[in-house]
Amino acid sequence: MKKKSAILMAAVMGMTAMSGCGDVRQSVPEDGEVESIRLMVWAPSEDQSKDSGEWLQTCCEAFAEEHPEYDIHFVYGVADEATAASTVSQDPDASADVFMYANDNLTVLTDAKAVAKLGGIYEKQVMEMNSQAITDSLRQDDSLYGIPFTTNTWYMFYDKSVFSEEDVKSLDAMLDKGVVSFPLTNSWYLPAFYVGNGCTLFEDGTVEEAGVDFAGEKAEAVTDYLVDLAANPNFVVDADGSGIAGLRDGSISAMFTGSWDAAGIKEILGDNMGVASLPCYTLNGEEKQMMSYAGSKAIGVNATSDHMVASIQLAIYLGSAEAQKLHYELRNVVPCNTQLLEDAEIASDVLVAAQNDTFNNTSILQPFVSRMSNCWTPVENMGKGIRNKTVTHENAKEQTQAMNDAMNSDGI
Amino acid sequence: MEGTKHRSAKRARMINDTIVHIVLAVLAFIWVFPIVWVVLTSFRAEKGSYVSTFLPQGYTINNYVRLFTDTTILNFPKMFGNTLFIAVCSCILSTFYVLTVSYCLSRLRFKMRKPYMNMAMILGLFPGFMSMVAVYFILKALGLSEGGLIRLALILCYSGGAGLGFQIAKGFFDTIPVAIDEAALLDGCTRWQIFWKMTLPLSKPVIVYTVLTAFIGPWVDFIFAKVICRANADYYTVAIGLWRMLEKEYIDSWYTCFAAGAVLVSIPIAALFMFMQRYYVDGISGAVKG
Repeated sequence: MKKKSAILMAAVMGMTAMSGCGDVRQSVPEDGEVESIRLMVWAPSEDQSKDSGEWLQTCCEAFAEEHPEYDIHFVYGVADEATAASTVSQDPDASADVFMYANDNLTVLTDAKAVAKLGGIYEKQVMEMNSQAITDSLRQDDSLYGIPFTTNTWYMFYDKSVFSEEDVKSLDAMLDKGVVSFPLTNSWYLPAFYVGNGCTLFEDGTVEEAGVDFAGEKAEAVTDYLVDLAANPNFVVDADGSGIAGLRDGSISAMFTGSWDAAGIKEILGDNMGVASLPCYTLNGEEKQMMSYAGSKAIGVNATSDHMVASIQLAIYLGSAEAQKLHYELRNVVPCNTQLLEDAEIASDVLVAAQNDTFNNTSILQPFVSRMSNCWTPVENMGKGIRNKTVTHENAKEQTQAMNDAMNSDGI
Repeated sequence: MEGTKHRSAKRARMINDTIVHIVLAVLAFIWVFPIVWVVLTSFRAEKGSYVSTFLPQGYTINNYVRLFTDTTILNFPKMFGNTLFIAVCSCILSTFYVLTVSYCLSRLRFKMRKPYMNMAMILGLFPGFMSMVAVYFILKALGLSEGGLIRLALILCYSGGAGLGFQIAKGFFDTIPVAIDEAALLDGCTRWQIFWKMTLPLSKPVIVYTVLTAFIGPWVDFIFAKVICRANADYYTVAIGLWRMLEKEYIDSWYTCFAAGAVLVSIPIAALFMFMQRYYVDGISGAVKG
């Protein structure tokens, strides 16, 4: 008797479970012409704020108008480019269909299979709008994973009343005339000197097995140079915001940062604000070009999106010349669309010119192979060692070798 | 002879006191220093995260005004409201759970009592955020990870495990004589009435303690709020908002507002503590009378 009731109960439970399932999976009625869809879009909060013109909403509505075949309900969320990749990878199912990410997070997304590949006509469309260099920053194993909308790198801001356009071509000439601040202890910036003297990361940044070459005489010479640089009374280490604070109180005249600080610097220096790509530095009598890490910010499409075609179309629209132009007008986001860069008004903007000069001439593509994650701490420690004077001319050789070993090891 | 001895003893005590007070003063200074600095920064007129002087060069209340007026990018008032709502609800629920569970474990005898206490002890050894990912997926499966239900999800997170933190309250209840319960029982009280009318009025200090900890937990939590809110900026709590103010895009213009926010965050906790402080004394004197 007991057994029978148990079986009955199990059957009832099974049936309720099944009917529960049936309720949830009710299919959406299709009425042929207009498809009703819900698209979730994530972007930084500035793109959605009223004060800066609601770029995202404007673009999404314009897209909806261009595509009468969809009846789109947009859901907006806030996720900036730096953190979107990790948020999407945590749970792609419950994340935005279209989001923005910085290309150094590409492996995070591909490892989680969270970002869709763009192929066929879509890939061609993106290639037509952008330079090879910038689309390369969004490629992995020959597949394209996003639509670039701006470059992401750092360069030099300086006070025009102190330095002439000729001075800013050489770091050493600048140090003779005024105080220069550089984030020596930040491993996004410091490698610029090493890369400038021929050190490489994963060959061209994509060959993981090749490892990092920050060793030998070429790297030691740079360490030696940096020890002298740090001792120069006209050189100030920029850490915890001291650079921009120095510009504000007039104690420094040049600093290295990116477009995110541009508005603040403009407010301080006004018309005296100069922006330039990276200068050269003089190493044992030879001019060496500093080379920054560069990347891009891109619009990605969720690989688990229910409305793949619409999502990709929206992503391409958000990365189009039209949307980039509006982005530039509303928020000063430096465009990367090749046609747009020829626009006279945009081409004359010093910030745009400097950022693109840097991207094209004085930078390397920031490697995003997984082992790149071992490269940050050793370089930071080197910078701190130089600042704290524990790295000296005497031990530069061992210290440089130790940094190279650490960058090539998987251990912590 | 005796007089000098007496005097030297007095002097020794004075020297001793002086040293102790100097040490205490130094410690107090070190302890208060960062708080004073945050308060000063919140009134600082110069922008930026880095300053070369300890004292601000100019003072302003604009940082506070901006927190409540410049809401298009970081909506501080909304975050403050969200956090307050979540913290108050969690506080009420957690306090109820903790006190009732403690009372049961202190006064009632049942089969699972010992195993439950052992289990709670062992579970308590693990940090709560270990279960974070699982909690997120459970909430998502229940449909609580989107829209207004995020608030409910956070309240559940903060109060759900409260029943495991009974140790201190149970310890306190154990010190109240059982004879009081028995007397109440003889007069016809139910268990609930004993708890509500006899035990609780005698336990004000521990109620104050429970309320404060139950409020501070959700009020300052960052990690669960971050995992559950994800991109839903409308439901951000102050911890997330303050963290965002320090991101590289915002830090230069928002740093002083961040300090102002930090000062404001401490106000509800301070107010709650000041309001409840008198019950510490009341509760103890009451227990003596009883």
